[in-house]
Amino acid sequence: MADLVIRNLHATIAGTDTEILKGIDLEMSRGEIHAIMGPNGSGKSTLSHVLMGHPGYEVTAGEVTFMGEDLLELEADERSRAGLFLSFQYPFAVPGVTVANFIRMAVNAHRKGGPDGEDDPIRIPEFRKQLQEAMELLAIDKSMSSRSLNDGFSGGEKKRFEILQMAMLKPKIAILDETDSGLDIDALRIVSGGINQLVGPDMGALIITHYQRILDHVKPDRIHVLMDGRIVRSGGPELAYELETSGYAGITEEVSA
Amino acid sequence: MSPWLAERRDLAAQSNALLPVPTLTDEHWRFTSLRGIDFDAFQPVAAPAPGEIAGAILADGDHAGRVVVRDGGAVVDELSEAVTAQGVAFGSIRRLAEERPELVEPLLGTIVGYDEKFAAENGALWTDGVLLHVPAGVRVAEPFHVAYEIATEGAAQQWRALIVVEEGAEATIVEEHLTGLPGYANGVAEVVVGAAGHLTYVVVQDRGDAALHFAAHRAEIAKDGLLDWVACSTGARTGKTRMETRLTGEGATGRLSGVYVVDDKRHLDLDTTQEHDAPNAVSDLAFKGVLLDEARSVWRGVIRVAAGAQGTDSYQENRNLLLSPKARADSIPGLEIDTNDVRCTHGATAGPVDPMLRFYLMSRGVPEAEANRVIVEGFLEEALERIPDERIRTALTEHVMRRIPS
Ligand SMILES: Nc1ncnc2c1ncn2[C@@H]1O[C@H](COP(=O)(O)OP(=O)(O)OP(=O)(O)O)[C@@H](O)[C@H]1O
Ligand SMILES: [Mg+2]
Repeated sequence: MADLVIRNLHATIAGTDTEILKGIDLEMSRGEIHAIMGPNGSGKSTLSHVLMGHPGYEVTAGEVTFMGEDLLELEADERSRAGLFLSFQYPFAVPGVTVANFIRMAVNAHRKGGPDGEDDPIRIPEFRKQLQEAMELLAIDKSMSSRSLNDGFSGGEKKRFEILQMAMLKPKIAILDETDSGLDIDALRIVSGGINQLVGPDMGALIITHYQRILDHVKPDRIHVLMDGRIVRSGGPELAYELETSGYAGITEEVSA
Repeated sequence: MSPWLAERRDLAAQSNALLPVPTLTDEHWRFTSLRGIDFDAFQPVAAPAPGEIAGAILADGDHAGRVVVRDGGAVVDELSEAVTAQGVAFGSIRRLAEERPELVEPLLGTIVGYDEKFAAENGALWTDGVLLHVPAGVRVAEPFHVAYEIATEGAAQQWRALIVVEEGAEATIVEEHLTGLPGYANGVAEVVVGAAGHLTYVVVQDRGDAALHFAAHRAEIAKDGLLDWVACSTGARTGKTRMETRLTGEGATGRLSGVYVVDDKRHLDLDTTQEHDAPNAVSDLAFKGVLLDEARSVWRGVIRVAAGAQGTDSYQENRNLLLSPKARADSIPGLEIDTNDVRCTHGATAGPVDPMLRFYLMSRGVPEAEANRVIVEGFLEEALERIPDERIRTALTEHVMRRIPS
């Protein structure tokens, strides 16, 4: 069985009948790179949020297994510790908590493994070393680690810090929701380089994007087109080029035909 | 008692006799009811038991001087020799009003007058408290530590403080109102920061669960003076604190920071002013509160800019986190501006922990309870980080976070 298996996933906005995800099927494993593309408002971020356990949505049908476990039974923090990661399209500012303290807290939460786990905090020098290496990999200035996370950060800076967190938490499957938007050309190359270094036998990536550009750096094995809450087409990397030239119009026709 | 002091007490007593106990119809008492409080049930306790205090938060470490006022009088009254040699006067104000009247007489009752009920009562009845006088140009590195404690059940503690930092002088004073037995505390602190003087004034109110705490603190800051004022409240059943700042000299700065964590059924009322009476002065007020259980806070803050105070830069914000659906925080900001060319801004909010922010933390593996604590600490940190002294900052952070359930 694949590491992440999504079957017929339906989700509504919590407390309403508004269905956003209308039956999603997708499978992927570590070592693979999948991309999801699709028009604005088609449900890409909703899918990423639902997978991560966002409280604003309700799963009404379908199932998701992650590393053989029922993902939907887990709280967001448990999903993270199980090895799922989400790089948010719109990361949150965490006032009063520095980047370094935030990431150390997350690393220690993973090491502890849950509220009932045993405290096993990472030694500070070891943490500093790891953080510094990850920051170097992503060309982030050292001085940034003492700022409040995402507080007043530029759009591109926030994206880099999402990937920094990913690098430190070493997930099994990382969902990257438009991590490329907001990055300048150099930053895109640097961040893509970082992603490439992390993807491998131990990590797979699900890249949500609007642009071919990031896929030139991070080569996907599969591309899925998400429209109106459904994956309407899946294919190889060539699908991205097709979309780039003809847009989603052709696909719409194919679906309605 | 010296005739000047007797005269002043008389004046206050006359005012006290005329002023009624405030009710909800008084503008400053709209949210704080005194009904049902039997003030006569609390009686002064003249001869306190001697000895050290318990439960202080900031008493550790070296101090330039220490005073402990228990019930009606000082039981610790110490000043280091080095600081004495610098010409600093510090200690029991009852003692120093007799020994050094030249330091007390010119100011006592001139900054906080007798036109308000509790201040008038205090002016008539105060028994002891603290005088700090730092002469011009003298800088004292170690903080002064003052503790007020109720050690006899039902005691009425009328405390009084006069804090003066003269021209170019610098000092830090920490004032703790400690947990103790049920009682009634009413105090007045008069604070003067001279030209280019620098005072750090830290006030911690951690009175016992059943205590009543009333206080009027008022500061005047002269030309280019700097007052760094930190107020931290975690205690008392009902507390009402006036915290007033008047900028009397050009270029004066008041940094007013407040942190409160209110739990149980406590009621905390904070009344602040930022009074700009001189041009180009700066006042910056940031009060952050966390409300639990059925607790309630009221913050009423007014920025007053007098005619002629051009170039005023004044800011006030009060933000509250409500950790329980039954907790409540009211914020009443106000601006009274009589001049052009000023920059005054304010903001006030109250709401629960943002569930999206909590989700963001949890998505990094942090369990819900810890995520909540981190959000609370980060929220308070924005006010706590303004405390200049690291030791005080750390101790206060630990103190307030102990009140947040994990
Ligand atoms: N909490 C919500 N309340 C109301 N509408 C919502 C909510 N969450 C999602 N939606 C709606 O669901 C649809 C899908 O939103 P989603 O954010 O998943 O789109 P997306 O594919 O990520 O779009 P984009 O490419 O613009 O990022 C949109 O129409 C959006 O307005
Ligand atoms: Mg989106």
